[in-house]
Amino acid sequence: MQPILQVRKLGKQYRVRGFSRMNPTLGDAVVKAAKSSFRRHNGNTKGNDELLWVLKDVSFEVLPGEVVGIIGRNGAGKSTLLKILSRIIKPTTGEADIFGRVGSLLEIGTGFHPELTGRENVYLNGAIIGMRREEIKRNFDEIVAFAEVERFIETPVKYYSSGMYVRLAFAVAAHFEPEILILDEVLAVGDAAFREKCLEKMREVSRGGRTVFYVSHDLTSVQQLCGRALLIEGGRLREDGEPSMVISEYLRTISSPEGLPVI
Amino acid sequence: MEMRDVTMPKVPAPSLSRFPRKPAIKIRASQSPVISQLKDAWAHRELLYFLIWRDLKVRYRQTLLGAGWVILQPLLTTIVFTVFLSMLVRVPSDGLPYPLFAYAGLLPWMFFSNSVSTSTYSLTSNSYIITKVYFPRLIIPAAIVGVRLVDFIVASVVLIGLMLGYGVSVTSGILLLPLLVAEMALFSLAISWWFSVLNVKYRDIGTLLPVLIQLWMFISPVIYPSSLVPIRWRPIYSLNPISGMLEAFRASLFGLPFDWTGLAISAVVTVVLFAYFIYVFCRWEEHLIDIL
Repeated sequence: MQPILQVRKLGKQYRVRGFSRMNPTLGDAVVKAAKSSFRRHNGNTKGNDELLWVLKDVSFEVLPGEVVGIIGRNGAGKSTLLKILSRIIKPTTGEADIFGRVGSLLEIGTGFHPELTGRENVYLNGAIIGMRREEIKRNFDEIVAFAEVERFIETPVKYYSSGMYVRLAFAVAAHFEPEILILDEVLAVGDAAFREKCLEKMREVSRGGRTVFYVSHDLTSVQQLCGRALLIEGGRLREDGEPSMVISEYLRTISSPEGLPVI
Repeated sequence: MEMRDVTMPKVPAPSLSRFPRKPAIKIRASQSPVISQLKDAWAHRELLYFLIWRDLKVRYRQTLLGAGWVILQPLLTTIVFTVFLSMLVRVPSDGLPYPLFAYAGLLPWMFFSNSVSTSTYSLTSNSYIITKVYFPRLIIPAAIVGVRLVDFIVASVVLIGLMLGYGVSVTSGILLLPLLVAEMALFSLAISWWFSVLNVKYRDIGTLLPVLIQLWMFISPVIYPSSLVPIRWRPIYSLNPISGMLEAFRASLFGLPFDWTGLAISAVVTVVLFAYFIYVFCRWEEHLIDIL
């Protein structure tokens, strides 16, 4: 079987500026240019900057239909990896080949505008996450039914309760059907009843034969939903394999006294 | 998308080493070729439509004034300039009634200046979306220019009213109008793309912006005819593409003689800058995301 996703030595490096500002102003740039014309290049011009590898040498392959859990501590590099696979940021080194459409749900309700109605926001948000217009149209009634906001679909969302808002946002995301789905567990939102509905939908998606990346801190759900797990630690891929093995390795590293550096 | 003729990547897994299918998405550390970024932007044209539609819906729904402002902005400005530059100080206006002259200059000028002003902040103020979802960022300033184009068309209703009111008849020059509007859109796009990435890199561009726009307006024949400019300064004056475009805009509407040299210069500069700034945007965008 051909892999649907192939990652080769992916790395991301950030430059952390020592003492100078993160976003230089034009004034800074002018001053810097003037200063450097006086200072001779003794190899120390970038002395204040620190280079940080937040992701290094990550390589793996995923076959179609695999449900892969991604676990690791905060700051380990999980979201950087996801952002690179979602094309939000570019890697510093390495490459990835993806043989299908990627849907990345790192957050719900992206682009929702308070002045627009529920209907309008469904179309807008759908378009932003990557759904095509006929896809949205086709799924529209189901989306509204799932969110349980039929009565209010023509009202501007600024009048929605926070519960209605997240339900609608999640409903749009839930009906997005790319070949590869990247799900962040924080998507399961709302009250307990709806959270359960979200998790059930995620289980349904995982069982449906779609390739899924599931980022989570909830190790039980990773164990239940995923056929494979990746442990990201200190920017590197530490473990790649069967979930219970990877999870126990993860638990071992976090309980050991010499914790690995976290960004 | 480009398909490079390189040796097969060294894959750790022994099972798969031949990939006959071309990947739908190639993620590389190196700079994406501009062509593939443009193709990607074209593939997302539906989203461009949605972004324009969103801004228009919000504007025309929010307040009566919201829609009215599109007309009031050039209209009120015209009234002010008419009082000061026609009644108090007699500025010539190519033989046309001054209000008509000024409105016909302010309308396209505001299309350009509003596009650039809003686009400058478009990437930084939309960072919360850009860092969460991927889509070609080229379409963000493009959506803004699209919205301003619609505003331009709406506000030109007043222009038609003024022309009728002053009894100005239309000549064959009007056929050039769609091309001129297209040229203005291209130039607005070019400058918008440039300023939007500049503002991400140097956040104080936003503070320089009002001054820049103001100066630009005064060096362009918006509220005065370019015939006021001394002959020896005319070549440099024409380097500003807005000059050629505005004069041609008025010429095509009111049947005045065309300044073909000025128009040609503006067209060439517009096309060159359009190509250059698309290139700049595509090159910078991929790195700027890290500092957004």
